[in-house]
Amino acid sequence: MSDKDSKRGGITRRSFITTMGAGVAGVAASGALFSGTSQAKAPEIHKAGEAMRITLTINDHPYVLLVEPRWTLLHVLREVIGLTGTKEGCGRGECGACTVLIDDIPRYACMTLAVEAQGHAVTTVEGLMHGEDLGVVQQAFVQKDAFQCGYCTSGQIMASEGLLRANPLPSSEEIRRGVSGNLCRCGAYTHIFEAVEAAAEMKQK
Amino acid sequence: MPLPEFEFHEPATVDEACRMIGELGEKTKILAGGTDLLVNMKKKLLAPEHLVSLDRIQSLAQLDSSNGSLRIGPCVKAAEMAESDVVISDFPALQEGASKLGSPLIRNLATVGGNLVTARPAADFPPSLIAYGATLVLKSNHGERTVPLTEFIQAPGETVLSPDEMLKAIVLEKPSPLSGSAYIKLGVREALEISLLNVAALLTLDESGGTITAARVVMGSVAPTPLLSPSAEKVLLGETPSDVLFLDAGEAAASDSRPIDDFRASAEYKRAMVRELTRRALTLAFDRIQTQ
Repeated sequence: MSDKDSKRGGITRRSFITTMGAGVAGVAASGALFSGTSQAKAPEIHKAGEAMRITLTINDHPYVLLVEPRWTLLHVLREVIGLTGTKEGCGRGECGACTVLIDDIPRYACMTLAVEAQGHAVTTVEGLMHGEDLGVVQQAFVQKDAFQCGYCTSGQIMASEGLLRANPLPSSEEIRRGVSGNLCRCGAYTHIFEAVEAAAEMKQK
Repeated sequence: MPLPEFEFHEPATVDEACRMIGELGEKTKILAGGTDLLVNMKKKLLAPEHLVSLDRIQSLAQLDSSNGSLRIGPCVKAAEMAESDVVISDFPALQEGASKLGSPLIRNLATVGGNLVTARPAADFPPSLIAYGATLVLKSNHGERTVPLTEFIQAPGETVLSPDEMLKAIVLEKPSPLSGSAYIKLGVREALEISLLNVAALLTLDESGGTITAARVVMGSVAPTPLLSPSAEKVLLGETPSDVLFLDAGEAAASDSRPIDDFRASAEYKRAMVRELTRRALTLAFDRIQTQ
């Protein structure tokens, strides 16, 4: 059974409700490991403290993972998969250090449950690389010296990448708004704005 | 920063969601965006045993406009409101609220329904929605009911929603022709800001364009709940728009406001700003009628 099917399948949802109606709420992810080939139903209820199997598509690569419902996408990226380019700053949706793209839209990974990222395309800063070469926005950040300590940088880059995917030639006002959810304690904003402008030009070529 | 443990539920339909919240009991929270809920859980202020996510229910994430009315699904995100053509053309005050809410990253997560159900006095959507006369459709296992937004929010963080009920839709009528509206938010900075206070205004003129036939001024963050100003409406109705009139309406709105001294500003300052923001919002609304 693919997890994608279990997630999308209306039948399993209905059977869950039937189960609920019978007062048996605990069928859940029956243990942490249901077998990959089992046809067992996977009702859309995920028990507290129990791991469930999900598939996340991260940087075009499918990852089959055991996660707890309470794990954020940020936690899974860093601590389970080891993609540590995405940073934890405030952990509560204020600073933007954990910005990733979900279906091309910038989102706080610290405020997104991993289970809710199923069925969506997640892109992290690692996903902007072309092999060993930096992606366009990354190059622009290096060229324009758009950081000091660098901690917020992957978030800034992902917010910029998301902005440019939606709006390939943003005005300087749109750039300022586009990265306004990403705080830079070093105050490298002027260079960040220049980097986004440069990246937009580079992407045009 | 870890979240406390909870059981996670992903209903596929509104009926399923209602059944779940009806059966799971009081320690259940609905997740629709999570920019408040997950933060409060991380801060250990809330520890629900069950989270019911509305993320997979597509009908709740739709914006439908037909026959002059707009039906907003509670899971429509602030970013979608800010970019929607129908919102931009017919409900500009809503667009302004949507585009000022938090940051782009918050707007990509936060939902209209969440902004209403959390019932924060400084929230960006309620003033404009009240100005447009929004009604809310609430649903539970036992049926549906419709409540005007003015009655929905009872106190900070409190609404008329019962534990087994959920918000299903927000319904607005398009203002009549010769109407203009605006929303102004005052903060100490331009982005990632909570309203120090905010004002939404709606004006409708008669056919000749001379007399005000409908007027609403709604203020946020100057009382425990968003406040529709009856005095401002009284000042404006039947009059001819003018700078002096809008100043008088500002005075009237300020007299209806009940701000408190807090870390954001003194009550006196907030009252003075109600006066000024009301004047500005009415001027902007009137300009929009004239440039239609």
